[in-house]
Amino acid sequence: MCPVSGVIKMALRELSSLEKFLGLKKPNKYSTQGGKKVPLLQNNNGPALIGLVTIASHLIREAKRPELLGDSAEQRAVVQQWIEHRITRLDNCSKEEGNVILKDLNQYLKDKVYLAGNVFTLADILMYYGIHHIVVELAVQEKERYLNVTRWFDHIQHYPGVRHHLPPVVVLRNRVYPSGHH
Amino acid sequence: MGFGDLKTPAGLKVLNEFLADKSYIEGYVPSQADVAVFDALSGVPSADLCHALRWYNHIKSYHKEKGSLPGVKKPLSQYGPAGVEDTTGAAPAAADEDDDDDIDLFGSDEEEDEETKKIKEERLAAYNAKKAKKPALIAKSSILLDVKPWDDETDMAKLEECVRSIQLDGLVWGQSKLLPVGYGIKKLQIACVVEDDKVGTDQLEELITAFEDYVQSMDVAAFNKI
Repeated sequence: MCPVSGVIKMALRELSSLEKFLGLKKPNKYSTQGGKKVPLLQNNNGPALIGLVTIASHLIREAKRPELLGDSAEQRAVVQQWIEHRITRLDNCSKEEGNVILKDLNQYLKDKVYLAGNVFTLADILMYYGIHHIVVELAVQEKERYLNVTRWFDHIQHYPGVRHHLPPVVVLRNRVYPSGHH
Repeated sequence: MGFGDLKTPAGLKVLNEFLADKSYIEGYVPSQADVAVFDALSGVPSADLCHALRWYNHIKSYHKEKGSLPGVKKPLSQYGPAGVEDTTGAAPAAADEDDDDDIDLFGSDEEEDEETKKIKEERLAAYNAKKAKKPALIAKSSILLDVKPWDDETDMAKLEECVRSIQLDGLVWGQSKLLPVGYGIKKLQIACVVEDDKVGTDQLEELITAFEDYVQSMDVAAFNKI
Protein backbone atom coordinates (compact mmCIF):
# COMPACT_ATOMS: atom_id res chain seq x y z
CA MET A 1 0.00 0.00 0.00
CA CYS A 2 1.39 3.36 -1.00
CA PRO A 3 2.30 5.33 2.15
CA VAL A 4 1.40 8.65 0.52
CA SER A 5 -2.21 7.64 -0.04
CA GLY A 6 -2.40 6.73 3.67
CA VAL A 7 -1.37 10.29 4.51
CA ILE A 8 -3.95 11.88 2.17
CA LYS A 9 -6.75 9.75 3.55
CA MET A 10 -5.78 10.91 7.05
CA ALA A 11 -5.79 14.57 5.98
CA LEU A 12 -9.26 14.24 4.44
CA ARG A 13 -10.52 12.37 7.51
CA GLU A 14 -9.13 15.15 9.70
CA LEU A 15 -10.97 17.78 7.71
CA SER A 16 -14.17 15.77 7.93
CA SER A 17 -13.77 15.40 11.71
CA LEU A 18 -13.07 19.11 12.02
CA GLU A 19 -16.27 19.89 10.10
CA LYS A 20 -18.21 17.69 12.57
CA PHE A 21 -16.56 19.42 15.55
CA LEU A 22 -17.49 22.84 14.16
CA GLY A 23 -21.06 21.71 13.53
CA LEU A 24 -20.88 22.57 9.83
CA LYS A 25 -24.01 21.07 8.33
CA LYS A 26 -22.92 20.61 4.75
CA PRO A 27 -19.71 18.56 4.34
CA ASN A 28 -17.34 19.88 1.69
CA LYS A 29 -16.05 17.88 -1.23
CA TYR A 30 -12.26 17.75 -1.18
CA SER A 31 -9.83 16.69 -3.87
CA THR A 32 -6.07 16.40 -3.90
CA GLN A 33 -3.34 18.09 -5.84
CA GLY A 34 0.13 17.32 -7.06
CA GLY A 35 2.57 14.50 -6.39
CA LYS A 36 2.33 14.98 -2.64
CA LYS A 37 -1.48 14.87 -2.90
CA VAL A 38 -2.15 17.92 -0.77
CA PRO A 39 -5.85 18.39 0.10
CA LEU A 40 -7.67 20.97 -2.02
CA LEU A 41 -11.03 22.71 -1.62
CA GLN A 42 -12.55 24.38 -4.63
CA ASN A 43 -14.19 27.57 -3.41
CA ASN A 44 -17.05 28.89 -5.57
CA ASN A 45 -16.25 32.47 -4.75
CA GLY A 46 -12.53 32.53 -5.43
CA PRO A 47 -9.31 30.64 -5.87
CA ALA A 48 -8.94 27.07 -4.58
CA LEU A 49 -7.77 26.58 -1.00
CA ILE A 50 -4.80 24.27 -0.78
CA GLY A 51 -3.32 22.56 2.25
CA LEU A 52 -4.61 21.15 5.54
CA VAL A 53 -3.92 24.30 7.54
CA THR A 54 -5.33 26.72 4.98
CA ILE A 55 -8.53 24.72 4.63
CA ALA A 56 -8.85 24.20 8.39
CA SER A 57 -8.53 27.96 9.03
CA HIS A 58 -11.15 28.58 6.34
CA LEU A 59 -13.57 26.12 7.99
CA ILE A 60 -13.11 27.87 11.31
CA ARG A 61 -13.99 31.23 9.79
CA GLU A 62 -16.95 29.65 7.99
CA ALA A 63 -18.22 28.31 11.32
CA LYS A 64 -17.72 31.76 12.87
CA ARG A 65 -15.39 30.42 15.59
CA PRO A 66 -12.40 32.77 15.16
CA GLU A 67 -11.45 32.32 18.84
CA LEU A 68 -10.24 28.82 17.88
CA LEU A 69 -7.34 30.51 16.12
CA GLY A 70 -6.44 32.58 19.20
CA ASP A 71 -7.93 35.51 21.10
CA SER A 72 -4.99 37.90 21.03
CA ALA A 73 -2.09 38.62 18.69
CA GLU A 74 0.22 36.66 20.97
CA GLN A 75 -2.16 33.70 21.17
CA ARG A 76 -2.67 33.69 17.39
CA ALA A 77 1.11 33.54 16.96
CA VAL A 78 1.38 30.58 19.35
CA VAL A 79 -1.44 28.76 17.54
CA GLN A 80 0.21 29.32 14.16
CA GLN A 81 3.54 28.13 15.57
CA TRP A 82 2.05 24.80 16.72
CA ILE A 83 0.09 24.27 13.52
CA GLU A 84 3.28 24.75 11.54
CA HIS A 85 5.10 22.43 13.95
CA ARG A 86 2.52 19.74 13.18
CA ILE A 87 3.05 19.98 9.40
CA THR A 88 6.80 20.53 9.27
CA ARG A 89 8.08 18.39 12.17
CA LEU A 90 5.42 15.93 13.27
CA ASP A 91 4.02 14.64 9.95
CA ASN A 92 6.08 11.75 8.55
CA CYS A 93 8.68 12.00 11.33
CA SER A 94 10.99 9.09 12.22
CA LYS A 95 10.81 7.24 15.54
CA GLU A 96 13.80 9.20 16.91
CA GLU A 97 12.32 12.52 15.85
CA GLY A 98 9.04 11.45 17.44
CA ASN A 99 10.77 10.93 20.79
CA VAL A 100 12.37 14.36 20.61
CA ILE A 101 8.97 15.87 19.85
CA LEU A 102 7.44 14.07 22.83
CA LYS A 103 10.22 15.28 25.12
CA ASP A 104 9.89 18.91 23.98
CA LEU A 105 6.10 18.82 24.13
CA ASN A 106 6.21 17.32 27.63
CA GLN A 107 8.43 20.17 28.84
CA TYR A 108 6.25 22.77 27.10
CA LEU A 109 3.02 21.47 28.64
CA LYS A 110 4.33 21.46 32.22
CA ASP A 111 2.49 24.68 33.09
CA LYS A 112 -0.22 24.66 30.42
CA VAL A 113 -3.55 22.95 30.06
CA TYR A 114 -3.86 23.70 26.33
CA LEU A 115 -1.13 24.48 23.77
CA ALA A 116 -2.14 28.15 23.80
CA GLY A 117 -2.23 28.19 27.62
CA ASN A 118 -5.71 28.32 29.06
CA VAL A 119 -7.86 28.26 25.92
CA PHE A 120 -8.67 25.44 23.52
CA THR A 121 -7.63 26.19 19.92
CA LEU A 122 -7.12 24.59 16.50
CA ALA A 123 -3.52 23.94 17.60
CA ASP A 124 -4.79 21.38 20.13
CA ILE A 125 -7.03 19.70 17.53
CA LEU A 126 -4.39 19.40 14.81
CA MET A 127 -1.63 18.32 17.19
CA TYR A 128 -3.98 15.71 18.68
CA TYR A 129 -4.78 14.34 15.19
CA GLY A 130 -1.10 14.38 14.26
CA ILE A 131 0.36 12.81 17.39
CA HIS A 132 -2.30 10.15 17.92
CA HIS A 133 -0.42 7.44 15.99
CA ILE A 134 2.60 7.97 18.27
CA VAL A 135 0.72 8.09 21.58
CA VAL A 136 -1.36 5.00 20.80
CA GLU A 137 1.86 2.96 20.60
CA LEU A 138 3.37 4.15 23.91
CA ALA A 139 3.83 1.64 26.75
CA VAL A 140 2.56 2.44 30.26
CA GLN A 141 6.04 3.58 31.39
CA GLU A 142 6.45 5.89 28.40
CA LYS A 143 3.01 7.41 28.97
CA GLU A 144 4.17 8.26 32.48
CA ARG A 145 7.57 9.52 31.34
CA TYR A 146 5.78 12.01 29.08
CA LEU A 147 3.17 12.66 31.76
CA ASN A 148 2.21 16.17 30.63
CA VAL A 149 1.72 15.01 27.04
CA THR A 150 -0.44 12.13 28.28
CA ARG A 151 -2.49 14.48 30.45
CA TRP A 152 -3.01 16.93 27.59
CA PHE A 153 -3.79 14.14 25.11
CA ASP A 154 -6.37 12.51 27.40
CA HIS A 155 -7.98 15.91 27.93
CA ILE A 156 -8.20 16.70 24.19
CA GLN A 157 -9.54 13.28 23.19
CA HIS A 158 -12.35 13.80 25.73
CA TYR A 159 -13.05 17.40 24.72
CA PRO A 160 -16.69 17.51 23.54
CA GLY A 161 -16.93 16.98 19.80
CA VAL A 162 -13.24 16.46 19.03
CA ARG A 163 -12.79 12.71 18.71
CA HIS A 164 -14.41 11.33 15.54
CA HIS A 165 -12.16 9.30 13.30
CA LEU A 166 -9.53 8.28 15.86
CA PRO A 167 -9.94 5.42 18.35
CA PRO A 168 -9.62 6.36 22.03
CA VAL A 169 -6.26 5.76 23.69
CA VAL A 170 -6.43 4.14 27.13
CA VAL A 171 -4.89 6.41 29.77
CA LEU A 172 -4.67 5.08 33.30
CA ARG A 173 -5.80 7.58 35.91
CA ASN A 174 -3.89 5.87 38.74
CA ARG A 175 -0.18 6.06 38.16
CA VAL A 176 1.93 2.95 38.43
CA TYR A 177 5.35 4.57 38.79
CA PRO A 178 5.38 7.32 41.47
CA SER A 179 6.97 10.63 40.54
CA GLY A 180 10.21 9.86 42.38
CA HIS A 181 11.18 7.39 39.66
CA HIS A 182 11.64 9.90 36.85
CA MET B 1 -11.39 10.64 49.55
CA GLY B 2 -10.02 14.12 50.10
CA PHE B 3 -6.62 15.76 49.99
CA GLY B 4 -5.76 15.86 53.70
CA ASP B 5 -5.61 19.45 54.93
CA LEU B 6 -5.47 21.68 51.85
CA LYS B 7 -4.31 24.61 53.95
CA THR B 8 -1.05 22.79 54.72
CA PRO B 9 1.96 21.93 52.50
CA ALA B 10 1.20 18.22 52.98
CA GLY B 11 -2.32 18.62 51.60
CA LEU B 12 -1.07 20.68 48.66
CA LYS B 13 1.41 17.92 47.87
CA VAL B 14 -1.44 15.40 47.65
CA LEU B 15 -3.32 17.78 45.36
CA ASN B 16 -0.22 18.22 43.21
CA GLU B 17 0.30 14.45 42.80
CA PHE B 18 -3.39 14.01 42.00
CA LEU B 19 -3.32 16.65 39.27
CA ALA B 20 -0.14 15.38 37.57
CA ASP B 21 -2.14 13.44 34.98
CA LYS B 22 -5.40 15.35 35.11
CA SER B 23 -6.52 18.76 33.86
CA TYR B 24 -9.44 18.94 36.30
CA ILE B 25 -10.49 17.63 39.72
CA GLU B 26 -13.31 15.65 38.12
CA GLY B 27 -13.83 14.68 34.50
CA TYR B 28 -12.59 16.60 31.50
CA VAL B 29 -14.26 19.99 31.79
CA PRO B 30 -14.06 22.66 34.52
CA SER B 31 -16.84 22.15 37.08
CA GLN B 32 -17.98 23.02 40.58
CA ALA B 33 -15.56 20.34 41.78
CA ASP B 34 -12.70 22.61 40.70
CA VAL B 35 -14.40 25.63 42.30
CA ALA B 36 -14.80 23.76 45.59
CA VAL B 37 -11.13 22.82 45.77
CA PHE B 38 -9.95 26.21 44.45
CA ASP B 39 -11.89 28.02 47.17
CA ALA B 40 -10.39 25.78 49.86
CA LEU B 41 -6.81 26.85 49.08
CA SER B 42 -5.25 29.68 51.10
CA GLY B 43 -3.39 31.04 48.07
CA VAL B 44 -1.39 30.33 44.95
CA PRO B 45 0.51 27.00 45.09
CA SER B 46 4.29 27.42 45.09
CA ALA B 47 6.29 26.92 41.89
CA ASP B 48 7.65 23.52 42.94
CA LEU B 49 4.09 22.14 42.93
CA CYS B 50 3.97 22.60 39.18
CA HIS B 51 0.80 20.58 38.53
CA ALA B 52 -1.21 22.31 41.27
CA LEU B 53 0.07 25.66 39.99
CA ARG B 54 -0.89 24.85 36.40
CA TRP B 55 -4.39 23.83 37.51
CA TYR B 56 -4.73 26.88 39.78
CA ASN B 57 -3.88 29.35 37.01
CA HIS B 58 -6.20 27.54 34.62
CA ILE B 59 -9.18 27.60 37.01
CA LYS B 60 -8.44 31.24 37.83
CA SER B 61 -8.95 32.02 34.14
CA TYR B 62 -12.57 30.87 34.55
CA HIS B 63 -13.28 33.25 37.47
CA LYS B 64 -15.94 35.10 35.48
CA GLU B 65 -17.93 31.91 34.82
CA LYS B 66 -17.29 30.42 38.26
CA GLY B 67 -20.97 30.35 39.20
CA SER B 68 -22.13 28.81 35.95
CA LEU B 69 -19.69 25.92 35.74
CA PRO B 70 -21.49 22.56 35.62
CA GLY B 71 -22.08 20.28 38.58
CA VAL B 72 -22.78 20.79 42.24
CA LYS B 73 -20.25 21.78 44.92
CA LYS B 74 -19.70 18.79 47.17
CA PRO B 75 -17.70 18.55 50.40
CA LEU B 76 -13.94 18.17 49.87
CA SER B 77 -14.06 14.56 51.07
CA GLN B 78 -15.87 13.69 47.81
CA TYR B 79 -12.88 14.65 45.66
CA GLY B 80 -9.34 13.50 45.26
CA PRO B 81 -7.50 10.18 45.60
CA ALA B 82 -8.97 7.19 47.40
CA GLY B 83 -7.39 6.31 50.73
CA VAL B 84 -6.80 9.93 51.79
CA GLU B 85 -9.08 11.83 54.15
CA ASP B 86 -10.13 15.44 54.04
CA THR B 87 -9.03 17.28 57.17
CA THR B 88 -9.30 20.82 55.80
CA GLY B 89 -11.37 23.11 57.99
CA ALA B 90 -10.36 21.57 61.33
CA ALA B 91 -8.44 24.83 62.05
CA PRO B 92 -11.26 27.41 61.54
CA ALA B 93 -13.42 25.66 64.17
CA ALA B 94 -10.68 26.23 66.75
CA ALA B 95 -10.32 29.88 65.68
CA ASP B 96 -14.03 30.50 66.32
CA GLU B 97 -13.69 29.15 69.83
CA ASP B 98 -10.77 31.51 70.45
CA ASP B 99 -13.01 34.42 69.49
CA ASP B 100 -15.56 33.32 72.07
CA ASP B 101 -12.88 33.54 74.74
CA ASP B 102 -12.34 37.24 74.03
CA ILE B 103 -15.97 38.20 74.77
CA ASP B 104 -16.04 38.99 78.49
CA LEU B 105 -19.34 40.81 79.12
CA PHE B 106 -21.44 38.90 81.72
CA GLY B 107 -19.80 36.71 84.37
CA SER B 108 -22.60 34.12 84.66
CA ASP B 109 -22.98 33.82 80.90
CA GLU B 110 -19.28 33.21 80.66
CA GLU B 111 -19.55 30.23 82.99
CA GLU B 112 -22.33 28.74 80.93
CA ASP B 113 -20.35 29.35 77.76
CA GLU B 114 -17.34 27.59 79.23
CA GLU B 115 -19.39 24.53 80.08
CA THR B 116 -21.01 24.28 76.68
CA LYS B 117 -17.63 24.98 75.11
CA LYS B 118 -16.11 22.12 77.11
CA ILE B 119 -18.84 19.73 75.98
CA LYS B 120 -18.40 20.89 72.38
CA GLU B 121 -14.65 20.32 72.60
CA GLU B 122 -15.06 16.88 74.10
CA ARG B 123 -17.54 15.91 71.42
CA LEU B 124 -15.22 17.25 68.70
CA ALA B 125 -12.26 15.31 70.12
CA ALA B 126 -14.31 12.09 70.31
CA TYR B 127 -15.54 12.58 66.73
CA ASN B 128 -12.02 13.19 65.43
CA ALA B 129 -10.69 10.17 67.31
CA LYS B 130 -13.44 8.06 65.74
CA LYS B 131 -12.64 9.47 62.29
CA ALA B 132 -8.93 8.77 62.78
CA LYS B 133 -9.65 5.20 63.83
CA LYS B 134 -11.91 4.49 60.86
CA PRO B 135 -9.25 3.59 58.25
CA ALA B 136 -7.88 0.86 60.51
CA LEU B 137 -11.31 -0.78 60.62
CA ILE B 138 -11.62 -1.19 56.84
CA ALA B 139 -10.80 -4.83 56.12
CA LYS B 140 -8.23 -5.13 53.33
CA SER B 141 -6.51 -8.00 51.60
CA SER B 142 -3.38 -8.22 49.50
CA ILE B 143 -3.92 -10.47 46.49
CA LEU B 144 -1.37 -11.81 44.03
CA LEU B 145 -2.90 -12.73 40.67
CA ASP B 146 -1.51 -14.94 37.91
CA VAL B 147 -2.80 -13.89 34.50
CA LYS B 148 -2.02 -16.37 31.72
CA PRO B 149 -1.96 -15.47 28.00
CA TRP B 150 -2.97 -17.70 25.09
CA ASP B 151 0.53 -18.30 23.77
CA ASP B 152 4.06 -16.95 23.58
CA GLU B 153 3.05 -14.45 20.90
CA THR B 154 0.58 -12.59 23.10
CA ASP B 155 1.61 -8.96 23.67
CA MET B 156 2.24 -9.01 27.44
CA ALA B 157 2.58 -5.21 27.65
CA LYS B 158 -0.92 -4.82 26.21
CA LEU B 159 -2.19 -7.55 28.51
CA GLU B 160 -0.80 -5.71 31.53
CA GLU B 161 -2.37 -2.46 30.30
CA CYS B 162 -5.75 -4.15 30.00
CA VAL B 163 -5.52 -5.55 33.52
CA ARG B 164 -4.43 -2.22 34.99
CA SER B 165 -7.22 -0.44 33.15
CA ILE B 166 -9.68 -2.20 35.46
CA GLN B 167 -10.64 0.55 37.90
CA LEU B 168 -12.83 -0.23 40.90
CA ASP B 169 -13.60 1.59 44.12
CA GLY B 170 -11.54 -0.20 46.77
CA LEU B 171 -8.98 -1.61 44.31
CA VAL B 172 -5.39 -0.44 44.04
CA TRP B 173 -2.97 -2.10 41.61
CA GLY B 174 0.59 -2.72 42.76
CA GLN B 175 3.78 -4.15 41.32
CA SER B 176 3.89 -6.71 38.58
CA LYS B 177 6.38 -9.05 36.94
CA LEU B 178 6.51 -11.54 34.11
CA LEU B 179 7.30 -15.15 35.03
CA PRO B 180 8.19 -17.81 32.47
CA VAL B 181 5.99 -20.92 32.57
CA GLY B 182 7.55 -22.89 29.76
CA TYR B 183 7.51 -23.11 25.95
CA GLY B 184 8.40 -19.42 25.81
CA ILE B 185 5.10 -18.46 27.44
CA LYS B 186 5.21 -15.88 30.26
CA LYS B 187 2.49 -15.23 32.81
CA LEU B 188 1.81 -11.85 34.38
CA GLN B 189 2.00 -11.90 38.14
CA ILE B 190 0.43 -8.73 39.48
CA ALA B 191 -0.31 -7.62 43.03
CA CYS B 192 -3.27 -5.63 44.23
CA VAL B 193 -4.79 -4.42 47.48
CA VAL B 194 -8.57 -4.62 47.82
CA GLU B 195 -11.10 -3.53 50.41
CA ASP B 196 -12.91 -6.78 51.24
CA ASP B 197 -16.33 -5.12 51.35
CA LYS B 198 -15.99 -3.62 47.92
CA VAL B 199 -14.03 -6.01 45.71
CA GLY B 200 -14.01 -9.80 45.48
CA THR B 201 -11.77 -12.20 43.56
CA ASP B 202 -14.74 -13.49 41.55
CA GLN B 203 -15.38 -9.98 40.34
CA LEU B 204 -11.71 -9.52 39.42
CA GLU B 205 -11.66 -12.83 37.59
CA GLU B 206 -14.72 -11.86 35.54
CA LEU B 207 -13.26 -8.50 34.58
CA ILE B 208 -9.82 -9.85 33.74
CA THR B 209 -10.97 -12.83 31.71
CA ALA B 210 -13.26 -10.48 29.78
CA PHE B 211 -10.15 -9.45 27.81
CA GLU B 212 -10.54 -12.61 25.76
CA ASP B 213 -8.05 -11.55 23.11
CA TYR B 214 -5.16 -11.59 25.56
CA VAL B 215 -6.17 -13.51 28.68
CA GLN B 216 -6.59 -17.26 28.68
CA SER B 217 -7.16 -17.60 32.43
CA MET B 218 -6.57 -16.02 35.83
CA ASP B 219 -5.66 -17.62 39.15
CA VAL B 220 -5.15 -16.34 42.65
CA ALA B 221 -1.52 -17.09 43.47
CA ALA B 222 -1.64 -15.68 47.00
CA PHE B 223 -4.22 -14.09 49.28
CA ASN B 224 -3.29 -12.38 52.55
CA LYS B 225 -5.34 -10.39 55.02
CA ILE B 226 -3.75 -7.06 55.86
